[in-house]
Amino acid sequence: MKALTGNRLADGEAVFWKDGRWVERFAEAQIFGDEAAALDAEGKAKAQGTVVVDPYLIDLIDSEGLWAPLSFRERVRCLGPTNHPQHGKQAAGGDDVEALRHAHGAARSTGRVNLIKRK
Amino acid sequence: MYRYDGIDKEFVADRAAEFREQVNRRLAGELTEDQFKRIRLMNGLYLQLHAYMLRIAIPYGTLSARKLRKLAYIAKTYDKGYGHFTTRTNLQLHWIKLKDAPEILEHLAEVEMHAMQTSGNVIRNITADPFAGATADELDDPRVWAEAIRQWSTLHPEFTFLPRKFKIAVTAAAKDRAALRVYDIGLALRRGRSGELGFEVMVGGGLGRTPYLGPTIREFLPTRHLLSYLQAILRVYNRYGRRDNIWKARIKVLVASLGAEEFAKQVEAEWEKSEQEPVDLPDTELARIRGWFTPKFATLAPASEAFEQAKAADPEFARWTRHNVHPHKQPGYAIADVSLKTPGQTPGDITSEQMEVVAELGERYSLDDIRVNYQQNLLLPHVRLDDLPAVHAALKAAGLATPNMDLVTDIVACPGLDYCSLANARAIPIAQDIARRFDDAERAELIGELKIRISGCINACGHHHVGHIGILGVDKKGEEFYQVTLGGSGAEDAALGSILGPALPANKVAEAVEQMVDVYLRERTAGERFLDTFRRTGVAPFKEAVYADAH
Repeated sequence: MKALTGNRLADGEAVFWKDGRWVERFAEAQIFGDEAAALDAEGKAKAQGTVVVDPYLIDLIDSEGLWAPLSFRERVRCLGPTNHPQHGKQAAGGDDVEALRHAHGAARSTGRVNLIKRK
Repeated sequence: MYRYDGIDKEFVADRAAEFREQVNRRLAGELTEDQFKRIRLMNGLYLQLHAYMLRIAIPYGTLSARKLRKLAYIAKTYDKGYGHFTTRTNLQLHWIKLKDAPEILEHLAEVEMHAMQTSGNVIRNITADPFAGATADELDDPRVWAEAIRQWSTLHPEFTFLPRKFKIAVTAAAKDRAALRVYDIGLALRRGRSGELGFEVMVGGGLGRTPYLGPTIREFLPTRHLLSYLQAILRVYNRYGRRDNIWKARIKVLVASLGAEEFAKQVEAEWEKSEQEPVDLPDTELARIRGWFTPKFATLAPASEAFEQAKAADPEFARWTRHNVHPHKQPGYAIADVSLKTPGQTPGDITSEQMEVVAELGERYSLDDIRVNYQQNLLLPHVRLDDLPAVHAALKAAGLATPNMDLVTDIVACPGLDYCSLANARAIPIAQDIARRFDDAERAELIGELKIRISGCINACGHHHVGHIGILGVDKKGEEFYQVTLGGSGAEDAALGSILGPALPANKVAEAVEQMVDVYLRERTAGERFLDTFRRTGVAPFKEAVYADAH
């Protein structure tokens, strides 16, 4: 399963694709079970250059019955910094935040490697 | 402190206005991200995990109260009320919005600040000894030279597209408080045989993926030729640096591949053939710059009864003076450290309210002079001995008086995976774990000097290679792991650490540090620091202690 993410151009907020628009909470993100649909959405997202920066697909895993990004890096983006639990999306709390906190998976993103090299 | 002239002011204000226009064009879709990214980076604006990050330049780590108050205001108004001081003595704000960035640059310009030279393949913000102008062991104030280099290098057209970023540090004392050997160019002021002042020039140091200690390519460069010689070094680098491979593009790789001697020969040849006079600083300009670095000290008695009494009466104050107060060249004054390393807090973080407190103290007690050091702390360079008790009380009330300079809890850590898009692992929680474990001032004092440096990736912003104990976050089969090195030093006895053994999981790092400290306490002889003991015993006893369970 995959989700589509990027950072919003105007403020840098981590955002997630949902049916052609962008939402801030990962719990509201559109989940793609179909590779072709995911790639199609990615293509559309890349065309939204004044809304979002460098959109990319991320892999998901099951955590407590909810989907969570496989990579720790992506979970940090969904939550906020671990040294300041009151900052970022995690401040709102909720089951989805707890599920993300408890998820285990790979530490590094797939699909983000090219971007890292270019930074 | 140096003040901008009319040209400087106009230039920085224009730059902010230009950036406003560029941001508007980006938001309107007239610039693509690829076109815009290099522009925002030239103004210190990065895109990170949660938001944009603005890295603000603090030339040679020197701030006035007005500047620090402005930073406090910006952090409070446009960020979440705090900032993060880095190992390059800059300030990073981690929650910036692109649409606010032009306004922030305008605020910075008002107080003669900007965010140029904090990113990109240019000569970056110049750093210097944080004790400059205050310590008795300096030959001159290195900020005079750092400021000259700053003016020469800012937007230098020939050096705007270097093969890679380029960092220069300057000191004028025997003690190295600026990590010269790990800079692209380290400049140490020395006195020649005839009494003339000149620079020892070290080139090709650096950390990151391939760490090197910079070799000395010239023992003595008369100060008047500083800029033309720097130009020659940069020209050789600009011509031969590896633009084809980002991992080999730093000058350290060029110097290492040519050898220091051959590199020096090429620099000398370039220097000889170039016109030096138009580049070297005229004496009048040097005198003008120097005029800005002449604080008006009062004539005071060398000892202070109030200070001695306070030390005798208050053991906490006495402990703080043992670790956070240093001798000053001027009788009756001292240098006072401001610790940003309260155990449990994020190393280098400071709230807007704390910035206000330090600004107030700097203005009132330190001749309006505040410094940032590369260990992510602040300091007040010119405090009267009489005023130290009041300064300590105010710092303590603000949570800034932890008596731990260079002790086990004075840990350097980069932002790591909590904020940074380059990181492989977190650095901050590891620092917090270690500091909490040693959160006992008496025990920390007993252990003595122990410099722990943590980076969340191989780029080494946390200087792990030169930590007495260095900790590097790595991605090992998808989990955060930490590789430990021992025996590094960024001081005048510079050394790169050697690897202890297999990387450790996050929950074992603090325990491993404690095990190594126990080995040190067991093995040390009188007067030995952790580093000295390690150098004498080698890695074996430390390795044995940490990996004993694995046998």
